[in-house]
Amino acid sequence: MVKTTTIELISKKEFELIRITKDILKAVEESGIQNGVVFAITAHTTTGILVNESLACLEVDIEKKLEELVPTFDSYNHNHFLPSYGAIGCNAPGHLKSMLCGNHAVFPIVDGHVVCGNAQDVYFGEFDGIQRRKVYITVMGE
Amino acid sequence: MVIDVHVHPTGYPQVAQDPESRAFRDRVYQRRTEDALSAPIAMTGKPSGGNGGGNKNFDVLFTRMDHEGIDRFVLLPLDLTTRYGGWIVSNDEIEQIVAAAPDRFIGFASVDPYRPDALEVLEHAFKDQKLAGLKLHPSKQAFYPDDPMMEPIYKKCLEYNKPIMFHSGMSCEPDCLVKYARPVHVEEVAVKYPELRICLAHFGWPWATETAMLCLKYPNIYTDTAAVPMDSPEVFFRHIFTREWGPTWFEHNFADKVMYGSNSPRNHTHGIEKLEMRPDTRAKLMGGNALKWLGMEVK
Repeated sequence: MVKTTTIELISKKEFELIRITKDILKAVEESGIQNGVVFAITAHTTTGILVNESLACLEVDIEKKLEELVPTFDSYNHNHFLPSYGAIGCNAPGHLKSMLCGNHAVFPIVDGHVVCGNAQDVYFGEFDGIQRRKVYITVMGE
Repeated sequence: MVIDVHVHPTGYPQVAQDPESRAFRDRVYQRRTEDALSAPIAMTGKPSGGNGGGNKNFDVLFTRMDHEGIDRFVLLPLDLTTRYGGWIVSNDEIEQIVAAAPDRFIGFASVDPYRPDALEVLEHAFKDQKLAGLKLHPSKQAFYPDDPMMEPIYKKCLEYNKPIMFHSGMSCEPDCLVKYARPVHVEEVAVKYPELRICLAHFGWPWATETAMLCLKYPNIYTDTAAVPMDSPEVFFRHIFTREWGPTWFEHNFADKVMYGSNSPRNHTHGIEKLEMRPDTRAKLMGGNALKWLGMEVK
């Protein structure tokens, strides 16, 4: 059996880490699936799904390191006029941070429970806010 | 107060939800509907062809405005009745949007100068709908600003003390000849109607120097920063403000003439923030000049 639900988020900053662990647990519980896997998948190309320990200090470190690796202000080829947008694509850093963080996370489900380590939380990473965003939670199993 | 004087509300709920209205914009901008639907959501307005994703409310928009520190948006419609048989955004839609959040929006009118009832439309917009100014797009509406047929429209704006926002310079839209929007075509208007407050949008790019000449020469001519960058906003604005214009031109000559306008403030404000200027000049750029141009200045 496969069940997919969609959660909608509105980021409030250009860079933001939003915890979605509870949404995943809820989707698994409501699916009724006892054994299988659950995926959290972002619908966007300037966002990411991250698994990490939910500490404010680490959130700052993640933001700082990603900014060092992919500075907001730099000479990106994507900064040019895109006729289909009627504007420039000046969100290259969002695309590259998205690439570094990946578009999904996956966890096993055993006896109706998501199996994850004590320190593990799931974040939706916004790298091109402020926007309305979607995350698909797909529960697969029996 | 921070005012963005150049916003196209095509992605707003009062506009974007209507399938007929969306189809009209797709036709005018020669886009396939499936392309339009897959275009990025116009949270804060895009160049006027944008259809956006059809936002249901203003939650994202207001969050972004607050994040960018923008108090008010000036919303621009466009009447293309005689050339295309409709409006990109109508005066009625602008009136509805402003009514939904009068503390965040300042609504402008538009009128197709070729329509026989142009003056009636404008009279209704100013007198009944209380719209705050007039948006004209010489390229898309295919007229020269110094055409004598425009004079009754300018007189109507003067009668109601309303400013005019002229699209000026390049437009990337189809069926949109740039020749109509050359800044110098507004010179005669500025001479004949010295009390008429005029904005030549987008720096009149690529005629930014011509725009500078007109701003220097005529007290009633302003410009805005809603130019479409071809590289990052910070690189583009540094180029405009310090290379296309001499490095001291802005602060020494045009501190009272340039208004913050974005088309869409996403990313645009970064380019403005990176420019070095005195705090009082920045305050004028970000809102003080707009209050003066809009006729809302508290004296």
